[in-house]
Amino acid sequence: MKTFMASVAEKIENLKIEFDEKRILRLIGYKTKSIELKDPVKKLIAEEKQKLDRLLHPVSIYIILDYEETNKHPIFNGAEKVALCICTIGPDLETEIKELMSDNEMLRALILDSLGSEAAEEVAVQSDRILAEKAREMDLWPSKRFSPGYGKWDIQEQRYVFSVLPGESIGVRLTESCMMIPRKSVSFRINFYENKEFSTRKK
Amino acid sequence: MNKEDILARMEKAIIEGHKQEAETLAREALEEKMDLLEVIEKGYVRGIQKVGDLWERGDYFLPELITSAECMKAAMSILQPELEKAQLRAQSRGKVIIGTVEGDIHDIGKNLVASMLAANGFDVLDLGSDVKLETFVEKAEEENADFICLSALLTTTMLGQKRVIEILKEKNLSPRIKVLVGGAPANQKWAEDIGADGYGENAMKAVKVAQDISRG
Repeated sequence: MKTFMASVAEKIENLKIEFDEKRILRLIGYKTKSIELKDPVKKLIAEEKQKLDRLLHPVSIYIILDYEETNKHPIFNGAEKVALCICTIGPDLETEIKELMSDNEMLRALILDSLGSEAAEEVAVQSDRILAEKAREMDLWPSKRFSPGYGKWDIQEQRYVFSVLPGESIGVRLTESCMMIPRKSVSFRINFYENKEFSTRKK
Repeated sequence: MNKEDILARMEKAIIEGHKQEAETLAREALEEKMDLLEVIEKGYVRGIQKVGDLWERGDYFLPELITSAECMKAAMSILQPELEKAQLRAQSRGKVIIGTVEGDIHDIGKNLVASMLAANGFDVLDLGSDVKLETFVEKAEEENADFICLSALLTTTMLGQKRVIEILKEKNLSPRIKVLVGGAPANQKWAEDIGADGYGENAMKAVKVAQDISRG
């Protein structure tokens, strides 16, 4: 028996961001598997990480629509429901990066930018988990998450996402060129299927 | 300390990323009234060239490149006013106009490329981000630039890279002004398809491509 939820947007707050050290190192340019970091770089990473409590404001907003309520983009075909979500870490980290760059602190800026990218991704990962769980609670099978601009879901579909979700309520807006501001924001969809075979997600 | 020792220390300061040492040595060069062009070419520039070699060998990574570029900038900012007073110019590898195209405000990658190009002897004019496409061409004409470097991080804005090349052609400024493109959605094929002269997968590769073009 399926439970039909009202299609209203809801927020996900109080997310705790954990960092994968190896991913951070890859993002700042260390492409090898093992690397012995030089002390000055190690020190800079530690110092930039200390700023994160003050700079990160992770939040996301989502809506779960019946297929019939969507714009029926072919990408939603076969789905019973579609979850749409916008995630962000807020604008403060980007302001700090700008200040670092204007002080010619390029390495610090790069480190903080990488930490921000990882944090935004982590907000998306955690929001995705929560939404997949909601699909299961509805006795439906969630797909993987997909973002506009990837595969057959054109970047222009950002406009649709923002038409059904009030991005501004979490401080995210869309530019003419479909870029989200703050830049450290992620939007995605998950299709919820009745048929397990359609789901692209591993259990 | 003799001249050769000072030049060797300058080179080392850049390779090892010691900003204070690079600055101290630059001041020392001024006090000792050393030949500043020689200081730049045989001291600091040799350092940054070796940093490029270390990166190519896989011994250095982006953080080391940035640190060395920051040292170079710090030293040059001390030497530059004296060069200007003496009406001298450090040898330029070419004049570069750089920016992120209209509609796009991503700038960290573009800033890294700008700083690497500057550290490697290019004369860089950074127009910032969300730059009108016509402005790239106007500035390049005004400044008699050799290169236009266009950054775009979105599939929607990368089309601006193509448009700038078209404008250059319309104004008969192509192929004199070379165009390099970069940014997450760009790749070698895209560069070839739109008729760009080069593609920089990352900051250091952008420098290498520009160096190869300017060497002819």
